[in-house]
Amino acid sequence: MTLAELQALLHGRITGAVAGREDQLREEVVPRPPLDALERVEIYARMYLYRLVDAVAEDVPHTSRVLGHDAFVELVGDYLLEHPSRSPDIGQAGRLFGSWLRTREGFRADLPDLAMLERARSEVRTALDAPVAGAEALQGLPPDALPAARFLFAPSVRVLRLQHDVRPLWDVLEEDSGEVPAAIPGPTTLVVWRHGFKVFHTGLSEPEARALMVAREGGSLEDVCATFAGEPEPAQAAFKTVLSWFADGWVAAVTSQRG
Amino acid sequence: MVPFLGHGIGLRTKHFPDLLEQGRRADWFEVITENFLNVGGRPRAVLEAVRRDRPVVLHGVSLSVGSVDPLDSDYLRDVRALADAVQPAWVSDHLCWGTFGRHNAHDLLPMPFTEESLAHVVGRVSEVQERLGRRFVLENVSSYLTYAASTIPEWEFLAEVARRADCLILLDVNNVFVSATNHGFDPGEYLRGIPRDRVVQFHLAGHQDLGTHLLDTHDAPVADPVWALYRDAVRRFGRVSTLVEWDDHIPPLDEVLAQAEKARALEKAVLEGADS
Repeated sequence: MTLAELQALLHGRITGAVAGREDQLREEVVPRPPLDALERVEIYARMYLYRLVDAVAEDVPHTSRVLGHDAFVELVGDYLLEHPSRSPDIGQAGRLFGSWLRTREGFRADLPDLAMLERARSEVRTALDAPVAGAEALQGLPPDALPAARFLFAPSVRVLRLQHDVRPLWDVLEEDSGEVPAAIPGPTTLVVWRHGFKVFHTGLSEPEARALMVAREGGSLEDVCATFAGEPEPAQAAFKTVLSWFADGWVAAVTSQRG
Repeated sequence: MVPFLGHGIGLRTKHFPDLLEQGRRADWFEVITENFLNVGGRPRAVLEAVRRDRPVVLHGVSLSVGSVDPLDSDYLRDVRALADAVQPAWVSDHLCWGTFGRHNAHDLLPMPFTEESLAHVVGRVSEVQERLGRRFVLENVSSYLTYAASTIPEWEFLAEVARRADCLILLDVNNVFVSATNHGFDPGEYLRGIPRDRVVQFHLAGHQDLGTHLLDTHDAPVADPVWALYRDAVRRFGRVSTLVEWDDHIPPLDEVLAQAEKARALEKAVLEGADS
């Protein structure tokens, strides 16, 4: 058997990607009492699952607690078969766990959203550092450059479009006190960001969410203001929203190309 | 010339407050490379703070140098960028494989010790050294299985990789003991098979005895037989930078530092001839 064939055989068995082939494994792996060849391979297979379960649980501690240990392990096992880790960083293994949970049933309906919030908080905690721009970066532009101003957001800002408002649930689980609230269905936009080493999340109203999405997709200040067109006092609402981005440290830089 | 760094510990999240806010330090720190690739926030701040006044070594777990998969160019680029920024004393990873078909098992799977894998690993280590722009350090792993195809003792395999690729060796004393127990070879023979001039670092760590085999868990103090083997290693290799790893059920910083101090005392006793 070549090195490639041997690695395919062992890797398939350890990760659960390939079942069977016990006879070949018995030929290739040396038994040594008290463990036979398959039991020796099984040591690695168990470690594979539990190492990745631990890695995903580190991302979504509250979700794993709500699910309970056995259910969580089973779900992560299924998840890994569909989304095997492709990154050298084991911390990326659970990147898609929340969205994948949406394809499953048998737990409270807002759990996928809770997992997505937890994952976002985990990503934000170690996201790359960036300088923070103050509102003066915008206010310092010449008046005719303002409409074309564009925003560069800090790498530690995440926007989540969820199907439930999971903030009350997260609060109770984080504080480890109080009664776990019922799921609150309805489209919810959350922003997760870091200030210093501390991670925050907050909800956005629909107009604020629209404006932020436009700005993050490269829209200009003029485009951002246009998203408030249907609101009462649209200019004031746009002004207040944009200033809050600076106040919360979401903006890394402002650029403008006139004309 | 590879510097002697003293007796260090692994940089772990649990100890960040002690290190960042109280300024506690070991002689030197080893960081898990993958935990600091493209990372900001507190981990990066701690790494920079520690690096300002202590040597740091980058220790990877995902190179998968023995895999038949192509080397991961993005990963190597990121490791090089981190190394350029941190200026570690050296960069290390394991003599093992963990990926197949780009699927990462996140484990340190043992190599079959054959002529085919020897040629494969030598070529890959040489390529890694070229891409990182520095000499590489390779560590022996703990293992729980051996292959029928193996024809070369592990220590000869490691020594030959180091010779042919002109790389250096991180000798994990606990891993030697764990594998020797699991596979029934003499750990002393392992030490005697490793060339003196290639070893730049020792690892020490705790393991668990599961009855059927020893498991390299890094969740306990260094076991007495491993301390005994460490003495033998110091006798053979002399003063070598030593690092205590503790990755699970991590105790307060003082307890980990105490293990590093114990290593220092044992090394001193051996080198001064007070331990025979």
